[in-house]
Amino acid sequence: MHAVELEDVHVHVGGQHIIRGVTLNVPCNSVYVLMGPSGSGKTTLLRVINRLIDMVDGARVSGHVRVLGIDALKADPYALRRRVGMVSQIPNPFPHMTIYDNVAVAARINGVARGKREEGEVVEWALKKAMIWDEVKDRLHEHPHVLSGGQKQRLCLARALAMKAKVLLFDEPTANIDPVNARKLEGAISSLKDDATVIMVTHSPHQAARVADRVALIYEGRVLEEGAAKEVFLNPKDEFTVKFMRGEI
Amino acid sequence: MSRARSLKDKLFVFAVAAGFLLAVAPLFHLAVVVFERGIPALVESGLGFFTDGPPSPLSTEVGGIAPAISGSLILLALSLPIVVLIALFASLLTLEFPGNPVSKAVDVAARSFASVPTIVVSMAVYSLVVVPAGRFSALAGAVALVMVSLPYAYTSFSTALRSIPSTYREAAYFIAMKRWTALIRVVIPMAKKQMASGVLMTMARIVGETAAIMFVVGRFRAGIQVLPDQPVDAIPLLIFDYALAPYPVFHKVAWGAALVLLLSYAAVFVATKMLVREVKL
Repeated sequence: MHAVELEDVHVHVGGQHIIRGVTLNVPCNSVYVLMGPSGSGKTTLLRVINRLIDMVDGARVSGHVRVLGIDALKADPYALRRRVGMVSQIPNPFPHMTIYDNVAVAARINGVARGKREEGEVVEWALKKAMIWDEVKDRLHEHPHVLSGGQKQRLCLARALAMKAKVLLFDEPTANIDPVNARKLEGAISSLKDDATVIMVTHSPHQAARVADRVALIYEGRVLEEGAAKEVFLNPKDEFTVKFMRGEI
Repeated sequence: MSRARSLKDKLFVFAVAAGFLLAVAPLFHLAVVVFERGIPALVESGLGFFTDGPPSPLSTEVGGIAPAISGSLILLALSLPIVVLIALFASLLTLEFPGNPVSKAVDVAARSFASVPTIVVSMAVYSLVVVPAGRFSALAGAVALVMVSLPYAYTSFSTALRSIPSTYREAAYFIAMKRWTALIRVVIPMAKKQMASGVLMTMARIVGETAAIMFVVGRFRAGIQVLPDQPVDAIPLLIFDYALAPYPVFHKVAWGAALVLLLSYAAVFVATKMLVREVKL
């Protein structure tokens, strides 16, 4: 059973052909990593899955995209995003809300919690799952500017988790945080696959090796190599994959 | 730090400080003069300055500016909500749909309107509202004030909304917020400080505007008027008229009125600063 299926997906923005016939199947309850050098179209693919590509002026998507059995390109984008959470590269907790409200708002908007008690339980569960509970439990009513970059990013993860989405997209989530926080975040991401399917973008093969069940190497809008993480890392078939893993590209 | 660099640093700091003082000195001087000449009128008349009508030309008593205060408040009450609502809606429209032809037209119209001389607006409203209605009125004044203050409110709201990094709007979409929900729950609350400043600037513009209402409100100074379809007075109009008049008592009232205007603006400014907290990113 696949949580996300992409079949011959093309994306044009303005006159540029950014994604060129990508076909991928992401198994349920796995960590699937899209890796590749900067500018290869990884983030665009994530935005196709949750339809944030609609916000890009002049973007045109063709092909078939199925998310949890739903035709994502025809579905109501807001209904789709209730089932597909996302964490971006830049930590972006809402600065005008408290730490508690940053997480609770996702539960409220998506009807996850009924009543204050249930909401509090969801917030605590999400913060624990994002491995930040111990650091913020005594200051839930402070604003997120008191947190470090890594803590803010884990708060964003908790916000995404509070939606109880079945698919979670991560766009280079550790790109702007220190190595210690990056490892904590990776640990949290790896533990998520019991509840959800994770698709993560990274340009670091080392990170991909640490967290991925399956990987796809994307370059210039095409999938160069795809398969089980162990298989791809131990027996790469494409010369480009070898160079990418050696850090030569 | 070498001596030469230290000297250059001090010189630069001095130049910046001197430039700043040069810029604020006229403002400071203006405030001092308004206080110095306005206080005697307020002291002499006491509370009566806010409750009584203006003096007659040969009067020995200062009297008050109650008709002008009530007129200004009516004009503000009639025009500010309309200006704020239209400007907010227009700035949200141009923020969310920048490529839309309507958004482009709104943007161009706002920029063009900002450069129209306010006296021309007053003449236009006189022809289009006062003449057909057959009377001067607060409503006609409100129409003129909406026209002159709308571009300012739109520009300040647009600047405030655009100052919020798009990453926060995206974060709202990540958790399945709809477009308008994201604006109402994320973008506007984040820009509230700048937007409050925008409302304040618009208020200052409305309360301090003279030329735009010159031909349309009727300068009714015989009592306090509360009906919007009746002629009213306004503080800046009273200052303008009394400053030009040859009577010393009128000059005294004009200075007192200028001080009231300055103090009311300062009070609103301080209250806004205290009540609306800046969002720390």
